[in-house]
Parts: sequence; structure tokens; C-alpha cells
Amino acid sequence: MTSIDVHELTKEFGTTRAVDNLTFSVRPGRVTGFLGPNGAGKSTTMRLVLGLDRPTGGTATIGGQLYATLGDPLRRVGALLDAQAAHGARTARNHLLALAVSNGLGARRVEEVLEEAGLGAVGGARIKTFSLGMRQRLGIAAALLGDPEVVMLDEPSNGLDPEGIIWIRELMKRLAREGRTVLVSSHLMNETSSFADHLVILGRGRLLADLPMQEFLDSRSRPRARVRTAESTRLRDVLIRKGYEPAQGDDGCWTIEGAKAGEIGAIAATEGIPVLELTDEQVTLEQAYLELTADSAEFASVSAPSANRQEA
Amino acid sequence: MSTTAVLRSEWIKMRSVRSVAGSLTAVLVVTLAITLLAFSTVGQSEADNVDAEPVFDAFYALNFGQIAAISFGATALSSEFLNGALRISLAAVPRRNLFYAAKIALVGAPALVVGLVTSFSAFLVGQLFMGKYAIGLGEPGALRAAFGGGIYLALMALFAAGLTVLLRSAVAVLSLLIPFVLIVSFVVGDVAGGAAQYLPDRAGQLVLHQNPGGSLGPWGGLAVTAAWAAAALLAGWWAIRRRDA
Repeated sequence: MTSIDVHELTKEFGTTRAVDNLTFSVRPGRVTGFLGPNGAGKSTTMRLVLGLDRPTGGTATIGGQLYATLGDPLRRVGALLDAQAAHGARTARNHLLALAVSNGLGARRVEEVLEEAGLGAVGGARIKTFSLGMRQRLGIAAALLGDPEVVMLDEPSNGLDPEGIIWIRELMKRLAREGRTVLVSSHLMNETSSFADHLVILGRGRLLADLPMQEFLDSRSRPRARVRTAESTRLRDVLIRKGYEPAQGDDGCWTIEGAKAGEIGAIAATEGIPVLELTDEQVTLEQAYLELTADSAEFASVSAPSANRQEA
Repeated sequence: MSTTAVLRSEWIKMRSVRSVAGSLTAVLVVTLAITLLAFSTVGQSEADNVDAEPVFDAFYALNFGQIAAISFGATALSSEFLNGALRISLAAVPRRNLFYAAKIALVGAPALVVGLVTSFSAFLVGQLFMGKYAIGLGEPGALRAAFGGGIYLALMALFAAGLTVLLRSAVAVLSLLIPFVLIVSFVVGDVAGGAAQYLPDRAGQLVLHQNPGGSLGPWGGLAVTAAWAAAALLAGWWAIRRRDA
């Protein structure tokens, strides 16, 4: 299968280093979330993979080949870079047809992807009449044209309505299930956590993390239990007696740092305190990400992660 | 990836943007409209002037048609430089030489066909109004001028196309070339004497004269314009090969 391999990749624009000695691989069969703040080098990396920008150093290859040497590249790699790039004067159908024809694909495939992207009814409309969400769907349709084994999407859910966001999420998961290589950049953490299996995180052009999402969350999580009860005072007293430090939130729930739900449940059971709700809280991707970027010293000035971890 | 496939793709792109197809049509429409307007009103009275040049004057309206030709060359390429459209194009056709060659071929070929039709019909339509002053294609130099005029229009379109890739903007190219063709070339042309015949528009228009003065000659002048166009196209080629998209 085909993976994207980035090796010691560096790109300088004048004196700015947008991508700094980056090495990572994107493997097939899973959705890889490509994270980092604006300006971290995500889009530049994608352009370098597509051979649009010339690297200052290092290589980016697809299945071991430079993009520019692929025969009919749309049949191997589908990419959405910027939904605004399609020329407004063209119809959606002509936009896709011009792309398809250059790679030996036919008009029938154009109709198929228009349908798949939910643009079947507006294929004959000029792109300038499209909303941002529709342009995004058109960009995704273009990425799917050649039924590619590698799919790269830069901020695909920009401007999509809730229905569209669910569609793109399910689409990405399906593409990965089919064994394709899927790289999706985003700066929205909650959204990324809903589809990514693996994460590649950049900061200032450098690699901060490259690991499975669950592993990343586990590595950033400390045990914390959350409990709701009708007998708040009794529970609090018992827990304090046992050496825990319960804290009550605005919603009346208690959170206990350093405790697992199992321990709290056992205590409540022996004391006969009825428990209405009891869970282990896991750190969210957003919290874990902010902690990671705060750890990397140079980020301290640009992002100020809140010290209190918010509720999952 | 075949050359035919890329040519077909670029053809779809070109004909599906109205301003591009429109400016190509305008080469013929504007030239004919100005020809009709000028020749039906002042055609015969101008022919009485001492400095009247029947062959050159027959192509008067090409002055306006060439602006449409410049616009065609510029807009055909500039659509790639809006909002990063070039990235989509080069992701589909990463072989930049092939991509650029296909684009230029699809500016040059249609511009040549439309240019020749325009040049011949301007000549023939204009003469319908000339009464006893009318000349035919048999007039010495007339046939050469009609062919040359068509080639000249195509070369101006290619000149603009190359510059557009270099400057990445039709607005920049049009605001450079149109004042140049309309004003600078006229003013400088009268002042600068011998050197002015090497300006891209002045040189090429020598082919429209029955007896072009100066040292270049009709085809020599056209060759100078071709050299300008070739230089612009080479600069564009360099830009498309070297630059980040």
C-alpha cells in the first residue's frame, strides 16, 4: 500500500523557516490528523508533498515516488488544498471535467463524484454562486475524482454545515477502512478527535508528536473521577476522611483528582451512598494538545493554555 | 498522461470561462464594428488626403482588435493566478513544461485563426464602402498585409500571455500593454525615429504597409514582434518552472 513519506523536509520562504527538518510517515488504513496552530507549516508540507513548492532540503514522496513523476497523479493522490481556488466563472461540472480529462478520466466519473459530494443538482451552476460549504464539497469531489489510494485534505470541514461535517467525518473513516492513506489537517481539536486514529502534530514547522491518538490522550491523562450523588455532603465527608480532595463543580457534580471511578464506587457502596452518575474523566484532545504546545517552550508566549482542565 | 489529454483539459478550461472566450470573440467583433463605423462614415473622404495609404488604412481597425487580442492572451493565462488555481492545475498536471506548452498552444492557435479571419474580413468589409477608391487583395502588398495582420494579432496575444505568467496578473499586463500600445508607442514612435521601429507593436505593424520605410521591411518587422513574444514566453516558461505554485 501507499504511504506518504516526509524525510528531513525543510522549506524556507526568505528568512522564515516554514517547515523545519520534518520527518514522518502517513500510513494507509487509518485517518491521520495533521495538527498545529495556524502557520505551523501544515499547508506548506502538503504543498511540498504535491510538488507544488520546491523544498529547501529533504524529500516528500508518495509510495516512494516524487509526486511530479506520477503518471496520472489524480488516480493515485487526491488533494483538497483551498476550496476558494476553483475559478468562479466555471460551472462545477466543467471544473471537474477539466481535471478529469487531463488524467484520462471521463465525464461519467465527474457525475459520480458530484453525486457523492451532494452537488448533483448544482453541477451546472457557476462556482461563484456557491457557498463556502458547497465549494468545500466541490473540492472534496475533486479529490475523489481518480478514486485515489492517498487522500490529503487541508481543513476540509471549513464552512460546512453540521450535516456536511458528519458527511466528511464518515467519508474519511470509510476511506481509511477501505485501506487508503488519509491525511487531514485541522486546527479544530474536537472535530479532529471525532475521526482521527493517528496524530502528527507540528509547531513552528517542527514535529512535536507522531503517535496514535489514544496513546497521546493516555500519555496526557491523569486519573480523575467524576461523581454525582443525591447526598453530596455525606459523600464529601467520607471522601475527605479517606484522604481524597473532592471539588464540586457548578453543576453539582464532584470531581476527584487522582482517583479512579472504581475506587469511588467501592467507597460509596460500602457507605451506602446512592450514586446517580460515576465516570472516569479522560483528557480531551484539546487539553492534551494545549499542554503539549505549552511544554514546547517557544509556544508559551503565543498560546496561554488555561491551568484548570475543563470538563471532558 | 498524454499531450492530447492535457490539451483537451486546457481547452475545456479556456472555453468555460466567459471572459476568455469573450475577449477572443471581441478580436473579430471589435475590429469589424470599428471598420464598419469608420469606413461607412469617413472612409472615402480620408482616402482623398495626401498622406492616405490605401493598404495600411484598410487595417485601421486592427488597432482596436489588438487590444482584444492582448486581453485574450492575458485572461487565458491569468485565470490560473487567481486564488491559487494554479495549484489545482499543477496537482492534476505536475509536468510543468507540458502544462505550459498546452496553455500557450491554446492561446496561439485560436488567436491565429481568429486573427487571420479578422484581418481578412476587416480588409474586405472596409473596401465595400470605398466606392471608386476601393482596392482588392490583388493590390500590391494587400495579401501580404492581410496575412501579416492575422499573424500580428496572434503574436500580440502570445506576448501578453507570456507576460501574464511572469507577472501573475492580467490587470498588471493590461495596464502595462494597453497604454503602451495606445499612447506610448505613438508618442515615442514619432520622437525616437529609427529605434522606435523595434517596439513590439510598431515593428509588427510594418507588415500592414504597402511600402514600409525603415530598415526592417514587412516580414523583418513581424519577426521583431515574434522575438518580443518569444522573449515573453520564455520568461513565462522560466517562471512556471522555477516558482513555487
